[in-house]
Amino acid sequence: MVNPSSYSPKEPVIETSNLVKIYKEGAIKAVDGLNLKIGKGEIYALIGANGSGKTTTISMLTGSLFPTSGEIRVLGLQVPKKRRIVAAAIGVAPQEYALYSDLTVEQNISFFAKLYNMDRSSFLKRLDELLPILKLNERRKTAVYNLSGGMKRRVSIACALVHQPRIVFLDEATVGIDPVLRAFFWDYFRSLAEAGLTIVLTSHVMDEAERADRIGLMRAGKLIEYGTPEEIKQRHSASSIEQVFLKLSEGAVADE
Amino acid sequence: MSKTKNFSPSRVIAVTWRVLTQIRRDRRTIALMIFIPALIMLIFGFVLGGQTKNLPILVDNQDAGYTVHAGQNSTSFNFGNEVLSSLQSDDQVKLSQGSFELGKTGVDNGTYYAAITFPANFTEVLILRNAGQSINAPVTIYIDGTNPTIEATVLAALQSSLQNTFGSGGVVLNEQFAFGGIQFSSLDISIPSVISLVLTQTVLLVSLIVIVRETTSGVLSRLYATPLSAFERLLGYSIALLILGMAMTGIVLFMGLGIFGAIVQGSFALLFLGAVLYASLNIFLAVFLSNFARNELQAVQLVPLITLTSMALSGMLIPVDSFPSWVQTLAKFIPMYYANKLFEGIMLKGYGISNLAQQFIILSGIAALFFVLAVMTVKDKMAD
Repeated sequence: MVNPSSYSPKEPVIETSNLVKIYKEGAIKAVDGLNLKIGKGEIYALIGANGSGKTTTISMLTGSLFPTSGEIRVLGLQVPKKRRIVAAAIGVAPQEYALYSDLTVEQNISFFAKLYNMDRSSFLKRLDELLPILKLNERRKTAVYNLSGGMKRRVSIACALVHQPRIVFLDEATVGIDPVLRAFFWDYFRSLAEAGLTIVLTSHVMDEAERADRIGLMRAGKLIEYGTPEEIKQRHSASSIEQVFLKLSEGAVADE
Repeated sequence: MSKTKNFSPSRVIAVTWRVLTQIRRDRRTIALMIFIPALIMLIFGFVLGGQTKNLPILVDNQDAGYTVHAGQNSTSFNFGNEVLSSLQSDDQVKLSQGSFELGKTGVDNGTYYAAITFPANFTEVLILRNAGQSINAPVTIYIDGTNPTIEATVLAALQSSLQNTFGSGGVVLNEQFAFGGIQFSSLDISIPSVISLVLTQTVLLVSLIVIVRETTSGVLSRLYATPLSAFERLLGYSIALLILGMAMTGIVLFMGLGIFGAIVQGSFALLFLGAVLYASLNIFLAVFLSNFARNELQAVQLVPLITLTSMALSGMLIPVDSFPSWVQTLAKFIPMYYANKLFEGIMLKGYGISNLAQQFIILSGIAALFFVLAVMTVKDKMAD
């Protein structure tokens, strides 16, 4: 078992200690003693099979789900206690699209901007930045139900980024996005990270995880491996993260 | 590739099986499917099974009586008293005595359904008639005509008591209608309670769907991670639904008054205010109930539970006065009971705010209670 506490980022923005979540219904231990440290400006990939506890972890970090035990600090503040303050500085793109399908692209993004008390002019300025980057410029006035899955995913990301958060959580963010656009996204994420944004994403696409600064590999609610992609590959003398993943996941395919 | 059949029973069965399995998994829906029809049948059974009775009326017996002299013997009669005691033993009405003027005031403010008076020469006229004179005794009844069932029951009780006393004939019924002297059509009479029924049904349904849809769309779990508080969200829903509720109230009133020409003897502004108040009450009820519905199906099942229970208990079908006393107590907890009284009061009886303050206060209180319950139960995080 690795000990993540040996890693100490210069400026930690997310820290958890012995985080546990047991769901009441079914008494499932979804997260089991998780210790995470994520530094400012990092792209951190939580990877693992379906049902390994990635989404539960994200939900607790964002304050949407209350932990059974353990501690969470986001931007130095206790979560869920100070979650409303933290909420103003984070953005979330959940696994499901989670958009209002009857509203247009602009109306959806505008709704979230208003929740962060953005004024109209800074919203419009921000929209003019985001839409071209996310290749949504021509869809601005289109109702979300008319969009493809990949477009909805991009609108969802726009909603998470509109208020220029300090941390963004992207749960399976690049599912349904074609490889060309995905490569483009990663360049964009990289530029955001260089500007100081911390990106926490979940994925079960391993080649994608290799682009992250650091990786946390989850299985059955536990962190079973962590580090930079290079470190992890070296430790397991593997040529890819996928190999490591398959090796560590052997005989442990969790039910979804 | 194997040949595909045009029609396959096994595919039909697959769909049937899928629907039934889905329902079986949704334990709350199963519970509602058993509980709601059983409860509604029970309530309707109790309500429709009883007959209209215990209707409060007032009788002013002015009858001076009459003494018949036959040689040495003289016999005194007072038919007024006899009719009175016959009415007293009739459980369709609940008899009070007092002056006719007091009775009329009572009918006007809803204490009594009718005030009846027998004239001083009541017995005299009847006896003279019996002796061959072609005269009739006038009985004056001042009656609430805003409910045909009640009106018919009171008149039937009076007729049968008259008949018990001295057979048929001899009495002229001088029927005066309260509330502008109008004999209302059955349409006029049903519109007030139809307005409250339609408002309950539509406002509840729209409100529940609007809120539950947010849960099922997945956006709600995303909102938990924004600065939006549960209270702000609830207030936002309520304001939007109030705007919709006012529009719906407008349509209902337009149909009732504009198209069907229902009578509004009182103030239209007061009617609109009352209707909006009742719509708000249902909105807050929906916001509260939405906590107990995980999906649209569960939410939609709650609507007939409320509308049908309200219909049965609010006096829309059978006057509340005729319920067994414990059902009457239950009716006092049904918001529609007060809404019906409010709308009837304004539309049929021409009541102003002074007559209806009680209904306004109670409805506002219930609305406030539902809002507080909604605030207390609104979810602000994902289910543990």
